[in-house]
Amino acid sequence: MLELQNVARHFGGIKAVDGIDLTVHQGEILGLIGPNGSGKSTTVNLIAGLYKPTSGRVRFLQEDVTELQPHERAERGMARTFQNIRLFSQLSVWQNLWAARVVRESGWAGLRARWFASAAQGREQAEQMLEFCGLQGKRDLLAGNLAFGEQRRLELARAAISGAPLLLLDEPAAGMNAEEIDDLDQRIRTLRSQGRTILLIEHHMELVMGVSDRVVVLNFGRKIAEGLPHEVQQDPQVQAAYLGADEDDELAQTALRA
Amino acid sequence: MDFYIGLMQVIGVHTLLGLSAWCVLHTGQVSLAQGGFFAIGAYGAGMLTAMAGWPLGGALAAAALLSGLVAVTVGFPALRVKGLMLVVATTAFAEIVRLVFFNLKWQVQTPQGPVGPDGGLGFGGIRYFPAHAWSGLEVLALIWSLVAAVMLTLWWLDRSRVGTLWRAVGEDEVAAQSAGINLTIAKVSAFGIGGVIAGLAGGLFSHNTTHIEHGNFTILLATFAIAYPILGGLKSLAGTLVAVVFIQGLLIEGLRFLGDWRSLLFGALILAVMLVRPGGVLAAPLQWPTNRRKPASGTAVPQERTGHA
Amino acid sequence: MSWIDFLDLMQSLLDGVMFGATYALIGIGFTLIFGVMHKINLSYAAASVGAAYLSLLIVQVAPAPAVYLLAALSGGVLGALVYYLCFRFLPLSQPLATLMSTVGMLLVLEEAIVHATAGMPQNYPAAFAGVVFDIGPFMLRGDLLFVFALGCAAMLGLKLMLERTRLGLATRAVAQQPVAAQLCGMSVDGTNASTFVIAGLLGGTAGAMTGAAIGVLSPLLTLPLTVKGLVVTVIGGLGSIPGAILAGLIVGGVENLFQFLRGVSERDIYVMLMLFAFLVFRPGGLFAAPGGRD
Repeated sequence: MLELQNVARHFGGIKAVDGIDLTVHQGEILGLIGPNGSGKSTTVNLIAGLYKPTSGRVRFLQEDVTELQPHERAERGMARTFQNIRLFSQLSVWQNLWAARVVRESGWAGLRARWFASAAQGREQAEQMLEFCGLQGKRDLLAGNLAFGEQRRLELARAAISGAPLLLLDEPAAGMNAEEIDDLDQRIRTLRSQGRTILLIEHHMELVMGVSDRVVVLNFGRKIAEGLPHEVQQDPQVQAAYLGADEDDELAQTALRA
Repeated sequence: MDFYIGLMQVIGVHTLLGLSAWCVLHTGQVSLAQGGFFAIGAYGAGMLTAMAGWPLGGALAAAALLSGLVAVTVGFPALRVKGLMLVVATTAFAEIVRLVFFNLKWQVQTPQGPVGPDGGLGFGGIRYFPAHAWSGLEVLALIWSLVAAVMLTLWWLDRSRVGTLWRAVGEDEVAAQSAGINLTIAKVSAFGIGGVIAGLAGGLFSHNTTHIEHGNFTILLATFAIAYPILGGLKSLAGTLVAVVFIQGLLIEGLRFLGDWRSLLFGALILAVMLVRPGGVLAAPLQWPTNRRKPASGTAVPQERTGHA
Repeated sequence: MSWIDFLDLMQSLLDGVMFGATYALIGIGFTLIFGVMHKINLSYAAASVGAAYLSLLIVQVAPAPAVYLLAALSGGVLGALVYYLCFRFLPLSQPLATLMSTVGMLLVLEEAIVHATAGMPQNYPAAFAGVVFDIGPFMLRGDLLFVFALGCAAMLGLKLMLERTRLGLATRAVAQQPVAAQLCGMSVDGTNASTFVIAGLLGGTAGAMTGAAIGVLSPLLTLPLTVKGLVVTVIGGLGSIPGAILAGLIVGGVENLFQFLRGVSERDIYVMLMLFAFLVFRPGGLFAAPGGRD
């Protein structure tokens, strides 16, 4: 479904991403992990189109999308969430969902649907998604006034409402408590059962290892390991990356083994 | 009575100007170009009626469309930049327009003598209204029916998906484009529609005053244009109208009581309003400026967490 | 074009570049404030001219250098005033609010000048007015040279301040990471205020220099100076001081060049077109400020 071919991204002298090959298969949940600064967020931004790669190609659904703008990639079926929540805080909950509803009709009907659809219609369409993310009854609240956990759910819903076959989730669990993370785990599985493909960037080891089909590990902008979760956890290179050369770091060790 | 009719006419024209800025501000762009489109509409419509004998309706429509076209043309490159750079780009554009008209000399011979823009001397003789015996009230009615039409159109646009998409772009461009919104179309459409409205306002202006010159179209006018929606509160169209009524009423009516000091007091008024109601008069409830507000350049950590970019 | 015409062309370019030091200072002021607060202070040029007017208070009793000094100092005071009235108490969530507040301030300052002087232009002491140096076929006007030198001195002073003093360090720190700077014990409010004061000092100097070069002060100066200052800031690259300096000299030169070629009424069109060219081909400006990755 998604392929990165030798993708690199340099910022001045810094090689944030240094030649990565990545494949995401249809219907899978791929976890992307790595220590801070390893290039995970840059990779997501490259996939989503916010950055253009310094070299390499991005292929999505058999099409080379490297030159496409973010909204064009969204039209083709990519959606994402952000590490720092980027909701439209002055718009209401349902307006946030409505704004993101990518319209696939073309011609006059499409034009009407895309730009001139009425608010009443929008509210209807948002209802289903509101149920999915547990925000029924909050439809008319301003997004900026929601609690943190609710905002995260709204972000996820906004990505999902477009019906995009590929979802890029950028650290969706950051700042969540255990209960919220369980809910998130459930929702990711539900999305996958709907036939979606998910690329999950996360620091939260339990979540990633628990929900992913495969895991890819980055360090210093390169891929250092790839495989099933338990394989990756045993990989000495991965352990070294997270722990440095110091094997006495109990916290990290425990997390990796979880 | 005539005085008040005149006042209402000015208020109407400025409301249109304010509404044109409202469109553009909605997508989060600060444009000081509205004065330039105003000028294009003013000179354009004036030239069409006074020099080419066009009927008023056609001239206004043509001038408004021309302004819109220029707005779209300028918009495409200009809207690739944001923030301060856009302010400067639009300022530069408005200045170019003003200077072009300052240097424009093009007159035709009419039975009444030469008519047309005459460089620094301006463009006089736009006498459509007097020539066709329009009364002050009729002009007033025309202006305000157009204001009502524009407000209705904008209100409808705002309630439809256009408004939501515009606001989404205004809130967070990164999130908007990642959600599939074509930024260029959103921004240029707002800019273009704003240009059309400003051009319409300009056409009405030049016919109302019968004589225009480059000094009418300075950057200061552009700051008025954005002041109306900002002071009135960007959420509501009515706020813009209220702001215009208040400001123009103060400036013109105030001439009686405050004399030359009215501009200074106007500036002070803007300052005061921003201190007390930074969201605009018709926006949030009253906020007093106190020390409990964080110093203007720091972002406290909690705010970062909720991610208001 | 004959040789003489070419010389005149070069001469006007030279004069323009030297006058451009004024624009450079105004551009630096805009860029300093933008770099720290990420906001524009539209009243900056008006405050600079206002400071020059204030310095006229002692023109009868003091020599020209003292007048210039007073202009700089008044600029600093006005800078602090602008900070407290227009920025300090306005919330971050309303970015348009500071824009409008500075517009209001611009109006107040300009009108205050008009009222205080009944709109009449005021003579401003020029330094080295009649002095002219001949260098080959070119003339270096003494007054312009002085203006240029004073501008360079101000820029040097600024550079030293930013790089060698704690305040300078704080200014740069707050510009880049306000939260972290606070956590390091720097007062964001204090640093912002000082930045405004410093920008004000520069602006006051620029106002004095404009007066000195032209010979008169007039309220009609404020709007064009504002526009040119903004143009310089953008061409130079937002937040970049070296950019503002270079851009100021370029704008000064180009402006005078086109004045020579096409006359006063058209010259600004070309300056604006140059800005557009930059926006299209190099929107980051001459030296785009090193920003974050996002």
